[in-house]
Amino acid sequence: MINLTIDGRAIQAEPGKTILEVARENGIFIPYLCYHPALKPIGSCRICVVEVKPGPPRPLPACATYVAEGQEVVTASPRLTAIRQELMKLVLINHALECPICDKGGECELQELTHALGVPEVDLTAIPATSPPDYESLLVERHTDRCVTCGRCVRLCRDHVGAMAINFMQRGYFTELGSGLLPLDCEFCGSCIDICPVGALINKQFKYRARAWEVTKTEMVCPFCGGGCTYELHLKDGEIMRVYNGETALLCGRGRFGWPVLSSPERLRTPLVRVNGELKEATWEEALTAAAGGLKAVLEEAGPGALYGVGSPRATNEANYLFQKFFRAGLGTNNLDNPARLHYVKALSALGQVFGWPEVKEADGPHPKPPAYTSPFTVKEDTKGSGFTFVLGFLEELPRADAALILGADLTPELPPLGWGVNAARQKDDFKLVVANPRGTKFDRWATVSLRYKPGAERLVVAGLMKALLTAKPDLAPAVPAQGFEEFKESLKKFSLKEYASRAGVEVADLEAAAAILAQAQAPAILFGTELLSQDKGDMNALALADLFLLVGKPGTPGSALYPVADKANTRGVCELGVLPDRLPGLLPLDSPAAPAFWGDKKVAQQPGPTLLEVLDLLEQDAPEAPRALWALGGDLLRWLPNRSRTEKLLGKVKFMVVQDAFRTDTAKLADVVLPVAIHAEQEGSFISSTGRLGVLKAALTADGVLPDWQIICRLASALGVPMSYRNPAQIFAEFARQIPLYAGLAPKKAVGKTGIPAELKGTFVPFDLDISLPGRRPFTLIIGKVLQHSGSYTTHEPCGTLVVTPEGAVSLNPEDAAQLELKAGDKARVISSHGEVEAKVALDPLLPAGVAFLPEHFAQPAAQMLTLNSNLVRVSIQKA
Amino acid sequence: MILPLIKGLATTLRYCFSKPITLQYPEEKRTPYPRFRGHPELVINEDGTRRCVACTLCMVVCPSNAIRGIVPAEGPQHEKYPVQFTIDLTRCIFCGFCQEACPKAAIKLNNLYELAQYNKEVLILDIERATQKKPEMRAPDWL
Ligand code: SF4
Ligand code: SF4
Ligand code: SF4
Ligand code: SF4
Ligand code: SF4
Ligand code: FES
Repeated sequence: MINLTIDGRAIQAEPGKTILEVARENGIFIPYLCYHPALKPIGSCRICVVEVKPGPPRPLPACATYVAEGQEVVTASPRLTAIRQELMKLVLINHALECPICDKGGECELQELTHALGVPEVDLTAIPATSPPDYESLLVERHTDRCVTCGRCVRLCRDHVGAMAINFMQRGYFTELGSGLLPLDCEFCGSCIDICPVGALINKQFKYRARAWEVTKTEMVCPFCGGGCTYELHLKDGEIMRVYNGETALLCGRGRFGWPVLSSPERLRTPLVRVNGELKEATWEEALTAAAGGLKAVLEEAGPGALYGVGSPRATNEANYLFQKFFRAGLGTNNLDNPARLHYVKALSALGQVFGWPEVKEADGPHPKPPAYTSPFTVKEDTKGSGFTFVLGFLEELPRADAALILGADLTPELPPLGWGVNAARQKDDFKLVVANPRGTKFDRWATVSLRYKPGAERLVVAGLMKALLTAKPDLAPAVPAQGFEEFKESLKKFSLKEYASRAGVEVADLEAAAAILAQAQAPAILFGTELLSQDKGDMNALALADLFLLVGKPGTPGSALYPVADKANTRGVCELGVLPDRLPGLLPLDSPAAPAFWGDKKVAQQPGPTLLEVLDLLEQDAPEAPRALWALGGDLLRWLPNRSRTEKLLGKVKFMVVQDAFRTDTAKLADVVLPVAIHAEQEGSFISSTGRLGVLKAALTADGVLPDWQIICRLASALGVPMSYRNPAQIFAEFARQIPLYAGLAPKKAVGKTGIPAELKGTFVPFDLDISLPGRRPFTLIIGKVLQHSGSYTTHEPCGTLVVTPEGAVSLNPEDAAQLELKAGDKARVISSHGEVEAKVALDPLLPAGVAFLPEHFAQPAAQMLTLNSNLVRVSIQKA
Repeated sequence: MILPLIKGLATTLRYCFSKPITLQYPEEKRTPYPRFRGHPELVINEDGTRRCVACTLCMVVCPSNAIRGIVPAEGPQHEKYPVQFTIDLTRCIFCGFCQEACPKAAIKLNNLYELAQYNKEVLILDIERATQKKPEMRAPDWL
């Protein structure tokens, strides 16, 4: 600790902090303009000047001067006031001063500073330098004449968003903000809007709709992806005005601009019941009676095993918990699963094999009456944690990694916060980045090594990396006790390093360079996404990465962790709350000694149910144990399961289907009863983000005709003879949190596994399959994946704000391939696989290698899963339509 | 004894022949002083457009919540203007704060003072009724 005085007050501060930071922490006011807590200081506006002794005779910028022992800082004096006022006059010299119509009015830092510094009037004149406002963009409006050239947006966009879309243009007095004469590289995240101290960058959705002081603010978690960002929802008269993040300013476009989907005309507002083969609108009473009647008939006829449940990564922890409770405690079966089976669950099972399933022993509690959404357990001295949860990364720690491997993920579209985390880590000089992807991605530009492998060759790349690591350093030993290392090394001997490289389509030297980076790193992070997990052998890919982490990872060092992408708002939560055929809430095994406590005297069934994919096989074989009825808590099965025509056919065999969803999805169209659910701020509840953060949704909007999932489940379960009644989601949270010591210390905004539980880690090397063949002979390999402006399918409904950026799904091709096929951007192409075909517009993407095409998964049309068999990779031919 | 009586009658007599200081209201109306504060109204430009930019400052400053329901909209030239604006004269206390707060000289208190009504509804002015019929500003007390 450093001792200094500010304005005569003795203060202790941490070394490495700036005077401004320390002053802010101690409630001492120093005016500032170009500084922002989320950015590195540049010390350009000089409004924050303070007198520092010992130091030079001139005042120093507080935002860019570090505290030092024995420093005496003076923050206010006539000289400082004179300097600050003079600087403010220069800032205001050409300012538009249109506060009455400026949306920033009332929350404008320039207004506040002018008042705080008592700038009387601007007695300077200058030639006017104004460029007209830029009204082009439908999301961000730019008023150059209000800009104070603080450079916050430039730094945020370049250093954190990683887009470099805004730059200073011209110099000196004429400096203004523009694209910097580069092609526009904007991600339309709108983060620059929230960091701008003035009204130079305006949120188009908010423009002229409310004044800053008229809104009521609700802090809540973003429900659009697994990033778990927290933002403020600003409402006026019960209507959403904007989404705002004043703290870090970072949000992605779908989080910031996606909320208009809530009022989409395509949303379901009344329940639907199938009458004479057609879905008809019905009241809640009628629909719930019909649903209960249909399910009861099946259950009575064929027993409790005849009903299968599909949980939802869109629904809250509370809803998913109740859902599995209905099956386990009510019906006594484990016949349920969730759509993350196709990707995230594969990562969990691989991690479980290598690091063991999570367990926490000796947590203190449960204490009575914890606050809402807080675990009743606390961490005490001898609390011990083990299992893979403790090798999973936390978002806050990612910037502390000194090396990162991004494999099989176009990181920003898959999970924007991970992209921001890597960008933050990149600000350290010694940070090294390895990017491995068949396609070129944004992060290639900062990569120390880029590996461009053949689609589907992830395992070979990882095996090659490990081979190179072990060749360079034969005595390399894992940081935690590990079994099976010798046998594992044997399994790598199947190919030589050269063979690994050539089979994966990469250079040996690159593999060696990447391996050297990982070997030298003190805190390597490994990030991977659904692109690699969605392959049919996605579990093998995850296994390879878990093995790699066991070999090079430094568990326990902040930042060194595995970061698998859980793509939707609650993909991680739906799994952790036990909507899996073989795991109970808290990821406990069915035979866990803690299991009997779960539902009172009702025993937990020991027989795991079939997985979602096995259910389809059972239906195909007309097996007697195939389900007769399906209750889907969302999750548009037709859109997300591979081989859509097969799924459609097999779901047709299900006698009775109840679907809860917010939209009339293709799966809902097959259902017998469709129950419309509340989403976003229409309901309360909690989510667990991809990196384990507990986010809480607040019910700030009125639900117009729809009901929250948990209420629907309570009513339907009660009608089926499994009485359930809860006052609110917080009560449900309290119920399951009592069963889950893993969540000890968990509270809103805290992360699972990051609550101070000391972890005892050990691992087992598990060999993985090295066969990467992709069936078929068609010329192109099509990758089905995610695009930045969409998350799941919600954002594809009008009037979602991001639709103005990416209105439809196009098949991307390398320009040369396209030229050979005589296709231009915008042409219609037929994409044909052996299972189906779709028609899609063509987009050209020079970042795609020859022979590889890309199609986004989000849209109803083109329906990407028409083409697939059992993986997100498929061989296709492409023709002009 | 008689003297005060004569004095009084003399005064009466004098007033009989001087100009009366009362008005024959309502046949005759008084012209208020220039700074008289009548009810607030929205000022229009020479071309008939309202000066108001819907900044809501008048609504914020109004101590008796007489101004409400200002609904802003964006015009073709990206200008901001109100599409709804309510002045509730049953609440207005004629303090003139709105006039003082308005950065665009778009609201002013006129010199109308005959506001007694049997029907309260008449006193709740919508944007059309709150707007001046012809452009008029009273220079001395403006800004
Ligand atoms: S940026 Fe601030 S000072 Fe400038 S016009 Fe807008 S509100 Fe007024
Ligand atoms: S919207 Fe996002 S990507 Fe675009 S300029 Fe602003 S910060 Fe950069
Ligand atoms: S646009 Fe805003 S954030 Fe960017 S330099 Fe100008 S004032 Fe600063
Ligand atoms: S990154 Fe995900 S959680 Fe964050 S704002 Fe975007 S959609 Fe929401
Ligand atoms: S203060 Fe003036 S410009 Fe603002 S809303 Fe009131 S009348 Fe309109
Ligand atoms: S805030 Fe310190 S120089 Fe601008």
